[in-house]
Amino acid sequence: MVNKESQSVRLFFMGLSIALAGAGLILGTILISQGGEWIQTGLRFFSAAGAGLSLTWKLDGLTMFFLIVLLLGQGLSSLYALGYLKEYQEKNKSLWPFLVNWFLFLGSMFGVLLADDGFTFLLTWEMMSLFSFFLVLYEHEDPANRKSAYIYFVMTHVATVLLTTVTLYLYALTGSFSFEMWAGAVPSLSTIQLNFIFLAFFIGFGTKAGFVPFHIWLPYAHSAAPSPVSALMSGVMVKVALYLFIRLVWLTIGPGPVWWGWLFLIIGALSALLGILSASVQSDLKKLLAFSTIENVGILSMALGSAFLARTWNNAWAMDLAFVAFFWHTIQHMLFKSLLFMGAGNIIQATHTRNLERLGGLLKRMPKTGLGALIGIIGIAALPPLGGFWGELTLFQSLWMNTSHLANGWSKVFLPLSIGILALVGGLSMATFVKWFGISFLGQARSPVAEKAEEAHPIQYITPLIMGGLAILSVLLPTATLGLIELPLSVLRPGNSAMMLSALVTPLNLSSIYLILLMLLTAIVFLLTKRSFHKVTATWNCGQPLTSSMQYTAGGLTNPIRVLFTKVLGSRRNVEGDFAETRYSLRSLTYEGKLKEVFEDIFYRPMIRGLLWMSSQIRKLQAGSIHLYLGYLLVTVVVVLILGR
Amino acid sequence: MDELFMILTRLLMGVGHLAVILVAAPLLQGFIKKSKAFWQMRQGPPILQPYRDLRKLLKKEEMISEHASWIFLLTPCVVLASTLMAGLVIPGAWGWAPVNVWGDLFLFGASLGLARLFLTLSGLEGAGTFGGMGTSRELFMGLLTEPALLLGLIVLAFMTETTSLQGIITGLQGVSPLFIPRILVLSALAMVSIAEMGRIPMDNPDTHLELTMIHEGMLLEYSGPSLALLNFAEQVKQFLLLLLLAQIIWPSGLISVSDGLIGMLWALGFVGIKVATLGFFFATVESLFVKRRLFRAPHYLATGTASAILALVTLWIIRGQI
Repeated sequence: MVNKESQSVRLFFMGLSIALAGAGLILGTILISQGGEWIQTGLRFFSAAGAGLSLTWKLDGLTMFFLIVLLLGQGLSSLYALGYLKEYQEKNKSLWPFLVNWFLFLGSMFGVLLADDGFTFLLTWEMMSLFSFFLVLYEHEDPANRKSAYIYFVMTHVATVLLTTVTLYLYALTGSFSFEMWAGAVPSLSTIQLNFIFLAFFIGFGTKAGFVPFHIWLPYAHSAAPSPVSALMSGVMVKVALYLFIRLVWLTIGPGPVWWGWLFLIIGALSALLGILSASVQSDLKKLLAFSTIENVGILSMALGSAFLARTWNNAWAMDLAFVAFFWHTIQHMLFKSLLFMGAGNIIQATHTRNLERLGGLLKRMPKTGLGALIGIIGIAALPPLGGFWGELTLFQSLWMNTSHLANGWSKVFLPLSIGILALVGGLSMATFVKWFGISFLGQARSPVAEKAEEAHPIQYITPLIMGGLAILSVLLPTATLGLIELPLSVLRPGNSAMMLSALVTPLNLSSIYLILLMLLTAIVFLLTKRSFHKVTATWNCGQPLTSSMQYTAGGLTNPIRVLFTKVLGSRRNVEGDFAETRYSLRSLTYEGKLKEVFEDIFYRPMIRGLLWMSSQIRKLQAGSIHLYLGYLLVTVVVVLILGR
Repeated sequence: MDELFMILTRLLMGVGHLAVILVAAPLLQGFIKKSKAFWQMRQGPPILQPYRDLRKLLKKEEMISEHASWIFLLTPCVVLASTLMAGLVIPGAWGWAPVNVWGDLFLFGASLGLARLFLTLSGLEGAGTFGGMGTSRELFMGLLTEPALLLGLIVLAFMTETTSLQGIITGLQGVSPLFIPRILVLSALAMVSIAEMGRIPMDNPDTHLELTMIHEGMLLEYSGPSLALLNFAEQVKQFLLLLLLAQIIWPSGLISVSDGLIGMLWALGFVGIKVATLGFFFATVESLFVKRRLFRAPHYLATGTASAILALVTLWIIRGQI
């Protein structure tokens, strides 16, 4: 039975969300095409919040760029949700909690991007955390989702504590919440104060972005949320955290000492490597994607690191390249990761399982979802001809230029090593996504649910295909993409950005030529080998009948990686066989493989243990005896009297 | 008008560059087979046999697994096309590469990566065990070779102050062949090449035993024209890797029009000799060693990566920059 009221509610609100995104994009395009001072200096506006406080907002090129990313993400995710939410409606689950939080979540991200003072920022930031938490909790019937949401809630508040502290600290130092005043006060701060502020920002934003070791919430939260929300969280929300690094660290308290850049680079490399390693051994459709988000955030952080280092070493070229890589990858990752989450959403709705081991052969049953997903995996694995690769190419070049520009020092060894790490990450991400796509879409169905899967609602496969189309367009028209990137660049690097871009254009322009040439060559090869006669037969299996359990499993496919990185992945396995008379006749075999978060062991458990120990020590003060409490009162009164003399 | 003429010449030169690669690749394969036969004291197949094999396969009927989808049919074309794209950045006999902008050295590995992606996906298409085995191992090898390949090329880029392969090869003419970082890079790249070509001790191109198969495992379901294309792509890849190595050992500089037709032919012959020598070298290596088991591969390729890193460190030490 279809709930009529719920249907019109879904159509109206998602339609509204799409319309708002579309209107925003059109307005943005008009504003940009008119050009003008505001791109660099910013358009300011205020709104009174009462009690003498006013919220200040600013729109400049940097904000505009991220707003466009947000609006694109909002429009396409809403379009997708239009189809996706139908399932809840059929289950007679109320859509109101989803819809209300959806709008509030999007609105608060808008606010974070526009905020121009510490108070506004904290307010919108906290709203963003809260409403995304509610969205993660939408399918609260499942205890696993409640646990995921809880972990997210705790971690996000660790971040908020630090951010609140640092905002109040800066207010105490400058007497103002305005970012501009903060920037003005920076030269008068001591190194220790500056480093404290930086670290608080780093941990605060890093938690939201998913830097290792503050990432543990991300795989849970991003995979527990409904797929359109996962697409928004992975595609857009982590970018908002990275935006704040640029706004508050680069523009406000920067340039800072060299080690800031190194921290970004090292934590980035660590996140990329650990994220993709964990992703490669996952067999949960959405958790794998969430881990890969950590990898991509790591790559973005490396780009930021390269930019920071280039700024301290006065290497304008490498800095520009690093930023082009950063913004390029931001766009591409938003498109591809949202696309893949949507594809995962379609699979989950069609089969009601997130376990890769139960899927298989879906390409024949869901061909259009499969096509979109194929575009997605080529892009996300950083392979040409799609955009993921060209961003990494620029990052490689930036790291290379940073190295070759340096006169001497050990940095000349460590910087190229990060290129080596990126190469390893690239190889691992190919393995990860071949597994994600190959196990779910190719081969034979591994379970009855996969066998009975049906293609999703047209909107649900058209939206990922639109995203794939946009990704291809961004490569076909690199000048347009670079034009978009020029917006934030002109804020970050006032001066001659036109000249710089024309110099950059050479290899990035190649992206369109590469794509066309590759297509052309493929077509030529295809046409030259006329293959009019195929015969469809069974797969060769040494003369035995082929069953679906003979295929490689998801776990088996990346088992060599698991074995090689046993220590890093904390993998343990337990195999128990039930044998008949001899070791050669096996009745049954049970296999149990476990993976552990290494950081849970070396970082979180000791911390939690320390906290518990401390609280148990503090508890000794609370002995429960009234005499002791009276004694405390006496001591307090005496101290107050002495101090208040 | 002039601009159009320029573009046309470039296009023609590019097509010529690819044509040389396409024609020479099976010949090299035949030569390597012959060299192996020499060490095994057999006569071996004639040098032109690979061409005949390709022609034969192209004419055959194609069998397709019932579980396969369109990706299975698309793969051979994409694999050959992207392998050729990798060929666009490697300077040929005349020291000229059709694609020569900064950063193009990253394109080489990435284009081969695209081919690998499609090939590994196709391995899973047949829904059998062998294809999955090939895919799983190929992905494993791929992630191990990538760092060594990229680091090796990066060190060359530091040596010559450019990230374009054409620039690197031209620049290497001014570097002594016994320059230690260069030798270390060569050893790294040689190790990578063996793994990428699917040769002993990493993989055995001659058998279809499941103990050895990596590349062959993924091709098991292919037949007829598709198999021809995939085999051809593998030969092209082998040729490209050896060409790259040969150019690093004995770089051929950018040729000018003044050298005339004779000069150009001479350069072509020179490159042929270089690549053939390397082919003979690798055939010898293959005859001397045995196939290692899969979990030895990390040690082997880690040696490659280590020698690339060592090359980097020695380069800066020799230049006095550390």
